[in-house]
Amino acid sequence: MVNLHKKLDLWEEHELISAEQVDAILAFESQDKREPSNWWLYSLLTLGAAIIGLGIISLIAANWALIPNLVKLGSAFSLLIAAAASLVWLQSHPASPWFDAILAAFLIICLATIGLIAQIYHVQGQWYQALFLWAVITFPAATFARHLFVPFFWTTLFLHGAVWSSIDLTTVRDPSDVYRELPALLVLAPLLAAVFYHLGYRLKLLAKFQRSFFFWFQITGLIALIAIDMIRSGGESQQYEALWYLPSWIAAAGLAALILMRDDYRPLNKTLLISAIALLLLYYHPDILFSGMTRYTFSAIDSGTQASLLMADDLRAPFLTILILFLYALHAGNNGHHRTFNLMTFLIGLRFVVLYFQAMGGLAATGMGLIISGLLIIGMAWFWYRSRDTLQRWSKELTA
Amino acid sequence: MNQQRLKLIAALLFPIVVLATNAWMNQQQRDDGTAITLPIQGVDPRDLLSGHYLIFDVDYGIKAGYGCPVPDISATLCLDKETRVYPSDELPTSCSLFLRGACNSQGDFSAGLERFYIPEKHASLLEKHIQANQGKLVLSINSQGQALIRDLLINDQSWRESLDD
Repeated sequence: MVNLHKKLDLWEEHELISAEQVDAILAFESQDKREPSNWWLYSLLTLGAAIIGLGIISLIAANWALIPNLVKLGSAFSLLIAAAASLVWLQSHPASPWFDAILAAFLIICLATIGLIAQIYHVQGQWYQALFLWAVITFPAATFARHLFVPFFWTTLFLHGAVWSSIDLTTVRDPSDVYRELPALLVLAPLLAAVFYHLGYRLKLLAKFQRSFFFWFQITGLIALIAIDMIRSGGESQQYEALWYLPSWIAAAGLAALILMRDDYRPLNKTLLISAIALLLLYYHPDILFSGMTRYTFSAIDSGTQASLLMADDLRAPFLTILILFLYALHAGNNGHHRTFNLMTFLIGLRFVVLYFQAMGGLAATGMGLIISGLLIIGMAWFWYRSRDTLQRWSKELTA
Repeated sequence: MNQQRLKLIAALLFPIVVLATNAWMNQQQRDDGTAITLPIQGVDPRDLLSGHYLIFDVDYGIKAGYGCPVPDISATLCLDKETRVYPSDELPTSCSLFLRGACNSQGDFSAGLERFYIPEKHASLLEKHIQANQGKLVLSINSQGQALIRDLLINDQSWRESLDD
């Protein structure tokens, strides 16, 4: 309110608004008795419910051998039924902060019950299969959430379960394959998150989960890009099964189709996004562009396998990273997403600086090297700050 | 009762019914399946105990030349007359007791039975018995070839009884 007063005074002083308008705004704001923001109350109640759920799991885990199976299962199902009955009763109280807290507890007890059944019957499934089963059976209940926490919690566990289970379905897995499968998992996560984000525009049931899917798309997308850049720049060679990448290709095809069906995207946006997806798949493909053997930069001189500019893995990698970020930045700028645009262009600048350190290697650690490095960072920051608005204007004009 | 409330009731009952059915089916399989007993060995003494469960390798009793024909396939172990691994789609119709599984990249058959949940306070003692090759698993196999662990035997006694001695 203090800030509002200051701003209104400033605007009035510059004759942007009249004194009557100032009074009208202040009167409106002071009588703003809309629903008070109870986010802290929801957070505490949900946290409390989650901790109770975890406490129940811990109790069962610590004492399970002493408790007869029927009692254990009976307790779990009694808790589920009690939570369900409370939710049905609370549904007629739209303002109650308890609804989401008990819904969160219900979802956690469902997960605990899956664990309990696995423990009692020594079920040999994997943790991600349990998460996927949990996500499938609790999805209808999660759609009744009134606040963000439950959809976010559901989305987080669903993505983990879905990504790991998808790779698991493609081949006969060996637990020791996890490290080798990691790139296939990393590329699938953002694609799957983006598929469900776009599906949210078509399926009303998924609408509540869209923000969470978009959040995870951005986080996992960034992790995927950084990870593959490090793998390719570092010259890692891979032993892999082509089938591990099949879920990614299917998800990418589905995502491209969903992007093409978006009526609010211009042809330019569709082209930019689909090109970025295609480049990401190309980046992750172990054989097409990267050999794991060819290096150009300073640190590779000793290896005796220095390659030409065009052939080197450690130059193709940053080029692809910057190109993917640039395509996404253009899409964000063209669509008016300022913060995403700024983040993408900042990351492009950062990658250029990292490339400088990669290329200069030990030279950057000398006195002159450090001075040049510092100047480069300041120069990049200045260039980014001065040119980002121009670039965003240009990206908007592309479809004007 | 309004329609929204009915939808909520259905959404809440769905996971409860699925989980209850799952528990009931596991119990049925444990009670009704054909019981067989197989010896087990610790996979690696340094990583035998992981959290609240034991990890082990089951000795399926497969003789040389009767194992996986090729690696990385879905496979079925016939336990009827001769213990032999077949690709899943080539299992002889005459085989009435079999175990579904897979041949891994090393060409070893596994039915995915590798874990037994135990109370933490008995973990180190049970671990020692498994390392000393005194452990056996009692499996319950249904007509579809799916196996469920019924019990862990230590020196041919249920693990609970062996701890009492």
